[in-house]
Amino acid sequence: MTNTGMFFRMLFSAVFRRRSRAVMAVIASLVGAATLFCLAMICIAVPQQMNQEMRAYGANLIVTPTGDAGSGAGAESDASSSGDAGSSSGTSGTGSSDAKSTGIDAAMVKHTTEMVAAKGSQKHATYRYENVRVNAAPYVMAGVDAAQVRNLNHHWVVDGSWPTAGKVLVGRDVADAMGLKVGGSITIGYRASDNASSSSASTAESPESDAASQSAQSSQQMRDGRVNSDIMDTTGTEFRVAGIVDTGGSEDSIIYATNADVDKLTGVKRGVDVIEYSSGASDLNALVTSINDMTSMHVKAQQVTKITASDTRIITMLQTLFWIVSLVVLVLTLVGVGTTISSIVSQRRNEIGLRKALGASSAAIGVEFYVESAMYGLIGGLVGTAIGYGLASWLCVAVFERAIAFNWALGVASVVLAALVAVVASIPPVHRATRIDPAIVLREE
Amino acid sequence: MLLELDHISKIYGDLHAVDDLNLTVPEGEWLAIVGSSGSGKTTLMNMIGCMDSPSKGSVKLEGRKLEDLNASQLADVRKNMIGLVFQKFYLVPHLTAVENVMVAQYYHSVVDEDQAMKALERVGLKDRAHHLPSQLSGGEQQRVCIARALINEPKLILADEPTGNLDEKNEKIVLDLFRQLHEQGTTIIVVTHDALVASCAQREIMLNHGVLVGEKWNDEAARKAYEAAGGRPASTGAQVEGAQTGETAIGFADPTKAAKTGGED
Repeated sequence: MTNTGMFFRMLFSAVFRRRSRAVMAVIASLVGAATLFCLAMICIAVPQQMNQEMRAYGANLIVTPTGDAGSGAGAESDASSSGDAGSSSGTSGTGSSDAKSTGIDAAMVKHTTEMVAAKGSQKHATYRYENVRVNAAPYVMAGVDAAQVRNLNHHWVVDGSWPTAGKVLVGRDVADAMGLKVGGSITIGYRASDNASSSSASTAESPESDAASQSAQSSQQMRDGRVNSDIMDTTGTEFRVAGIVDTGGSEDSIIYATNADVDKLTGVKRGVDVIEYSSGASDLNALVTSINDMTSMHVKAQQVTKITASDTRIITMLQTLFWIVSLVVLVLTLVGVGTTISSIVSQRRNEIGLRKALGASSAAIGVEFYVESAMYGLIGGLVGTAIGYGLASWLCVAVFERAIAFNWALGVASVVLAALVAVVASIPPVHRATRIDPAIVLREE
Repeated sequence: MLLELDHISKIYGDLHAVDDLNLTVPEGEWLAIVGSSGSGKTTLMNMIGCMDSPSKGSVKLEGRKLEDLNASQLADVRKNMIGLVFQKFYLVPHLTAVENVMVAQYYHSVVDEDQAMKALERVGLKDRAHHLPSQLSGGEQQRVCIARALINEPKLILADEPTGNLDEKNEKIVLDLFRQLHEQGTTIIVVTHDALVASCAQREIMLNHGVLVGEKWNDEAARKAYEAAGGRPASTGAQVEGAQTGETAIGFADPTKAAKTGGED
């Protein structure tokens, strides 16, 4: 047997033949490792979960046409449009140039969506806004793909169903104003003059209204021969009320119909006025910049600051809280492991004194105890990490209703940290022990 | 001389645990240090065994002054020259008998399990080699301790009350082992208050409150050889009544001896 073999034989004996004391040290490390690993896993899982939750509150990025003329934004008609209606962001488009008036065509929507998707997961919905009349009163109507809007805005509370052909979804404010019920009917008239006029029926309403008010200004003068300037005219197309949407926001003042119905009502097919994205990109600023740098696209991207800022703030607060708790746990682990190791070393004073009497150097004894402590930390770290993962998984399923994958880098770090903490905690007692005068210990004074 | 103590004292405050002692021990001698509890025997042994340093005076081992050595060098002297036997055995509780012997090899040089087994065989414990100390009797534990002390073939064996915790049967076994080691030329210094153990030694010195108060030889041939080699009687510079201060050894009678030997002297 070599001296190295003897070293490990002594180590093995110390750990496995003194099981009760070894178990104490291992449990101390285990508790620390399990708590730390669990907290760290949650620290990682929470931002992801929060990000998903926050994204359910609508878009964090909107894209609107720019004022520049171009082929991408608008192609099928000369209908004018502007702004970012439908969004709760509060941002709005401006201007009424040709490019804006034609909206963003399908190809550009696809291209923009590909750019957003390249930076992370995304959900999106498009909106085309028009000013319409209901019982001679002006309202904003949005042409949407119901599936897209539904997928993007989980917070919308819809009484009834989403719009389909011949059926509209009306905002709560509209429904209340007109006493509409689900299943009832509504006659919507399209007046080219409303959309031709620069005056807005929604100056105080919302950006959506403002956008929609400008959206069809000039096109109807040029294309629609049905221009009617009689503001008391109540004629129009009858739609069924499929549902009533309640968001508590500006969406409650809008009537939503399918894109096909809006096309049919206006007699004009054109691009959309706004694309709303819920993007999972880690750096939303960079994404906005990259879109805006592509001037040939003739679109303008903007962050919905309300969503991104609160998302970031909440995640930062939670992460800070978790890291502070982790730090406290780390300190407590250090104290716990230190106390346990200190107790073990104290119980072995005679043995240390004997080893010194047999000619062992302080360094040799120190190495033996540090390696032994590292072994306790390693075993405790391995078991603790496994338990911590189980705990984190259970918490994530119970609280967030999602599974989390084992993070190997974090797992390795947890085990190494547990071993390191055990070694660091053992430094003071071992240092004291190696300074023991063998004569005093062997006299048992 | 293997060991030379030159006016060594160990002083704790006002207490002189060992007071101005001069002593020389030639190689191969078996010396017993006797005295009642608190007489300074163990303190003296610790100073000889490099586990403690004298407050005054000088200790020379094979001509090397121990006070000139640092902690690491003293550890080297301990592991290379000295074998220690304790009253309370001090075996590592989680190591088997053979592993306890191998620990001494580990700190000395190279571990050799066969050699450790031979050492255990020599003390009659080959068949108990893989037992833990808790599975051994007191006598067996002391024999493991002796095997550990002799495994590195030290020049000097220091034994502190080696039979203090043993029954008569085991005491005899241990003394026989010492006798064998002595016959093989190993220098042995035994600290004891047991008259029988002391009487096995060639020479005895007696301490009382740290002061040398007597010296006697149990082996006349050894005394002559010692004196022929230039050896002088132990002495003390302490000026107290009964102290052996001069060149003449003061004999003493051990009060416990009669009881142990049944009155034979």
